[in-house]
Amino acid sequence: MERRSCVAGFSSDSLMSKLLSGKLATVAGLVGLLFLSGCATPPPADDPDAVAEFQQLNDPLEPMNRTIFDFNDWLDRNALKPAALTYRAVTPHFVRDRIADALANAKSPVVFINDLAQGNVSRGGVTLLRFLLNSTFGVAGLMDVATPMGLPGHVADVGETLAVWGVDEGFYLVLPLFGPSNPRDAFGLGLESTLDPLSYYLADHKMRWVSTIRFLTSGLSQREAYIETLDDIKRTSLDYYSAMRSLYRQRRDAQIKDALSGEWAPADSINKRR
Amino acid sequence: MTTSRFTLLSFLPRGLAVLALAVSALLSSPAAAEKSPEEAQTFIQNLAQQAISTVANQQLSDKDRNENFRRLFVASFDLPQISQFVLARYWRTATPEQQQDFVKLFEDLQVLNWAQRFKNYKGENLQVTASAKDGDKGFSVDSQLNHPPAQPMPVQWKVRQGDDGQLRVTDIVVEGVSMAITQRSDYNSLLQGNGGKIDALLAALRTKIDQMRNGNG
Repeated sequence: MERRSCVAGFSSDSLMSKLLSGKLATVAGLVGLLFLSGCATPPPADDPDAVAEFQQLNDPLEPMNRTIFDFNDWLDRNALKPAALTYRAVTPHFVRDRIADALANAKSPVVFINDLAQGNVSRGGVTLLRFLLNSTFGVAGLMDVATPMGLPGHVADVGETLAVWGVDEGFYLVLPLFGPSNPRDAFGLGLESTLDPLSYYLADHKMRWVSTIRFLTSGLSQREAYIETLDDIKRTSLDYYSAMRSLYRQRRDAQIKDALSGEWAPADSINKRR
Repeated sequence: MTTSRFTLLSFLPRGLAVLALAVSALLSSPAAAEKSPEEAQTFIQNLAQQAISTVANQQLSDKDRNENFRRLFVASFDLPQISQFVLARYWRTATPEQQQDFVKLFEDLQVLNWAQRFKNYKGENLQVTASAKDGDKGFSVDSQLNHPPAQPMPVQWKVRQGDDGQLRVTDIVVEGVSMAITQRSDYNSLLQGNGGKIDALLAALRTKIDQMRNGNG
């Protein structure tokens, strides 16, 4: 019974039904097995406040999510954060900035595709221009020369594009290693590499190892950038899990709102300042 | 509003009516004059400057920094309003004593959190860029936290004019993430896990505050 209520919570108009075709069905079936053991108990129907809260939290798999979250946190404390701290200790700030810029530049084609898919032509134009400027004058993207010219970067991903197209987030989902997500964003994450021309190029030229290094460096670079932020959230929250859930949702909503508006607000404020 | 006041007046004895008028005149005295978005903007700019000069000072001892911040925080943040928002439906079920306890503990914890954040101050400066009216007696003030060469970080302030006419902060939204909403989810989840018992939340807050004081949050 509980299992049915859990599945019914997201099957209607979420991405899940769209995913259930072909090879993905096997994966979905396996994931479904995990779901069965990880369903949250819905509150009694005679407590409308609690029911409203349950729906608003939209976290029917909370027990499973918490287990994965704890695993991720364990991994973070024992491997990722120490690695990020070491990375910070052994590299000057300038070098880390160059690495972050190069990684962002390498991601530009995917951002560009998403900008266009979202119907944000001007944002796409900025991405393209940035890519051209930074790849040439910026020495293979190592220097972000476009931002000082009033063309700051932005990110766009497949999950965001799907949201712009009207696909619902589904429900809260914590992915192993990748952390806070939902079926829509998880699907987008999986699709990300298949959209990346650079990945194809590297695969065709038997240089998959470059992709691996890129993936690892990107993880390290991002974790390093969030050392203080994550420390702060962990230190100030009573329940790290729910704080992260709320933060992820809000941040995502803001990004999607931004993508829907089609504006690239940061550039405006910078131009005003100059 | 006016019509209802007049019908009410006609039912009141004359002496009481005079008293009621005097009270309503007091309530709408110039002290409670409505603030403009520009004033809200100035308020935030001053608040940031004060914070940087009295709290971010690296020479301060932890104790002085906490004291300075508490003074600034209590004067400039609408703690009762924030507490009510953060506790959401549990505010209604809490006893007045629990509400008071919560406001006090929330204040203590926020002071410790912010003092810690300001301890890591590295010369960032806050630049107010715009402000607008936001609901009744509310304002939203846009600003950005600058720390070159990093990209400026957008910070939005929710400001409300209290019944005493003073402007106070009710929320800070950093890159689209509201502190009040995050705290509400955090605290509500703890309450939910403890059958909605406010005392469980108060106990958790006390533990957290002790941890922070002992320097291992």
